[in-house]
Amino acid sequence: MTTDDAQVIGLTLGTATLSTLLIFPFGVALAWLLARKQWPGKSLVETFVALPLVMPPVATGLILLTLLGRRGPIGAFLQNTFGTEIVFTWKAVVTAMAVMSFPFLVRTVRLAFEEINPRLEHVARTLGASPIRVFTTITLPLAARGMVAGAVWAFARALGEFGATVMVAGNIPGRTTVMSVAIYSDVQLGDDGHACQLMGVSAVLAFAAILFSNQFSRWGGAR
Amino acid sequence: MKFQCRHLHLQQGAFLLEIDLEISGQVIGIFGSSGAGKTSLLEVVAGLRRSALGFIAVDDHVLMDTSARKFLAPEQRGVGYVPQDLALFPHLSVRKNLLYGHSRAPGSSHVDLDHVAAVLEIEPLLDRSISQLSGGQKQRVAFARALLASPRLLLMDEPLASLDQELKSKIIPYLKRIRDEFRIPMLYVSHSPDEVTQLCDQVIVMRDGKCLRISRPQELFEATTSMALKPGIYDHLLEGQTSS
Amino acid sequence: MKIFQPLFPLLLLLGMSLSPIQAEEVDVFAAASLTDALKEIAVNYEKTSGDKVIFNFAASNTLDMQIKAGAPADIFFSADEVKMDDLAKQGLVEKETRKDLLSNSLVVVVPGDSPAKLTSAAQLADPKFAKIALGQPQSVPAGIYAKEYLQKIGIWPQIEARIIPAESVRAALAAVETGNVDAGIVYKTDALHSKKVNIAFEVPAAEGPAITYPAALIQGSKHEDAAKKFLDYLATSSSLETFAKYGFIPK
Repeated sequence: MTTDDAQVIGLTLGTATLSTLLIFPFGVALAWLLARKQWPGKSLVETFVALPLVMPPVATGLILLTLLGRRGPIGAFLQNTFGTEIVFTWKAVVTAMAVMSFPFLVRTVRLAFEEINPRLEHVARTLGASPIRVFTTITLPLAARGMVAGAVWAFARALGEFGATVMVAGNIPGRTTVMSVAIYSDVQLGDDGHACQLMGVSAVLAFAAILFSNQFSRWGGAR
Repeated sequence: MKFQCRHLHLQQGAFLLEIDLEISGQVIGIFGSSGAGKTSLLEVVAGLRRSALGFIAVDDHVLMDTSARKFLAPEQRGVGYVPQDLALFPHLSVRKNLLYGHSRAPGSSHVDLDHVAAVLEIEPLLDRSISQLSGGQKQRVAFARALLASPRLLLMDEPLASLDQELKSKIIPYLKRIRDEFRIPMLYVSHSPDEVTQLCDQVIVMRDGKCLRISRPQELFEATTSMALKPGIYDHLLEGQTSS
Repeated sequence: MKIFQPLFPLLLLLGMSLSPIQAEEVDVFAAASLTDALKEIAVNYEKTSGDKVIFNFAASNTLDMQIKAGAPADIFFSADEVKMDDLAKQGLVEKETRKDLLSNSLVVVVPGDSPAKLTSAAQLADPKFAKIALGQPQSVPAGIYAKEYLQKIGIWPQIEARIIPAESVRAALAAVETGNVDAGIVYKTDALHSKKVNIAFEVPAAEGPAITYPAALIQGSKHEDAAKKFLDYLATSSSLETFAKYGFIPK
């Protein structure tokens, strides 16, 4: 393990964590809206959210590149207004990870909300609780396990993200090379041994994430 | 209590709930077979469902008046609700369940935890979790929780329906205690003539979303052990104003 | 009917002579920069020979790796000698068939809407070129050549941090086309192929790195004869003319 490796692993963990933190509030909010409310355009939004799950990741990456590139609508706006660029930087890595893992978060948390008996929320209101109090004291605690599971799934997906990331952030050692891309690069260079090392680390991280998620559910269920 | 439900009109797909009545009593039964609209009526009174038209008031408190565009949110109505599946909060202890609505809801009477726990005999259960309770215990905790929110009206949706006969006969006395000790008016939904006879002073008979008649329980049922409905109960449909 | 009877054996003979002889397939793994030229050459070749040429275009290091992993290639046409030597060391190349066919030159390109013009490549050190696309400088031949050259003119340390490495030289070109980078170093042949970039500077052949494109037959090829035929065809004057048309320098 070299300092370069540590850097790659650190970058991957850091961007995946940031990505998960960023999408969490939006994912939970959207999951709740999808689970509990009817509104115009709902099925359209559902479809959009599911797209990164079914489209080839590189296709999603291409869409992101078109939008966020210097000539793209969002990229140009960011350049003119804030002077920042996203493509080929770590911000693009976070963006790609966020987009690809968002549907995992929303689906898992939505299911968690849907599993809550709505009558619990109804009764809470008749007991005098405002909708916000109902959400914080009844809905959230009962959905907590699902929310953690959703976050872990999103994180694990972000860790493994390759196709969209490599499209929109490239493979710049030290800046945007995450573990999955480094493994690919190593194989390209014929350095299978090093690729296997990184692959081992990747497997351990994924294993740890899922183990944590299962333990958390068990702990939550024992209550 | 004087309960008014005027010009209520609720369309749900093919089902239409149309109620126009005014009734006084301490415990008012709502009697009918399944599909009659009894639960829907309770939900509208609790504010959990919104109808297109209607006026609902408990004594002088107007809960809903579509002509005046008034609609009180459920948490503002002071209407307690015990659904058929009890809906006890699984992640909270018994005590936390009981205190959930305590000293928060608007209401005239102020009910005290120790008093309620004593009346319903649930003192030893206070620190248990919901999953540790038996069927009858859960029932009493659900009643207590609703009482502790000091409601001005208590809605009970077939509270004893899932209990066996032995348990039913054990719980009915508690309901009587609630009626007699706490003097909180109730709307009591049931399809059991026995419960209705024991607990209610007036009964609203419902069928297919409409109120058929309002009577005293004794007038509805044969005074025999079968407790069958007297003949002719469903013969005429009452429309327009109905008063007891 | 009786009139038609003698016709049947005649028809049979005709039918047999018209059915094509089993066409052979040749799998060619070629450097990305050769894409357009080889495709044109193959079209002509297929007409005259009846064989079918199947291409796999990618960066030479990718192809090197694929062949080592057992991918079914008959011919390898690389953008540098290093990758060919690598395969030869593993005994994967039929050494006698190896030919150095072409050379190329490097150019600095900028996006089509950029007016930048350079009088020397050293001007790339100017900070206005915030992002410069190259093929991966450790592995892609075009990237290796570019780095060699930039080191030679002494500006590599200044611009190293601004390099955006790409999968292949065509990927570097594409990055410049989209305008997501400020400049790129690619082969002249790639720059000529694209309408969306301008050549800001051409590296003179004398100053630039020695670029050689060798081609050879792969050991254990399943279509040895057809492959030999195509390889020979690539060295004919008509093929070399086609290559020159696209900007390559025949050796």
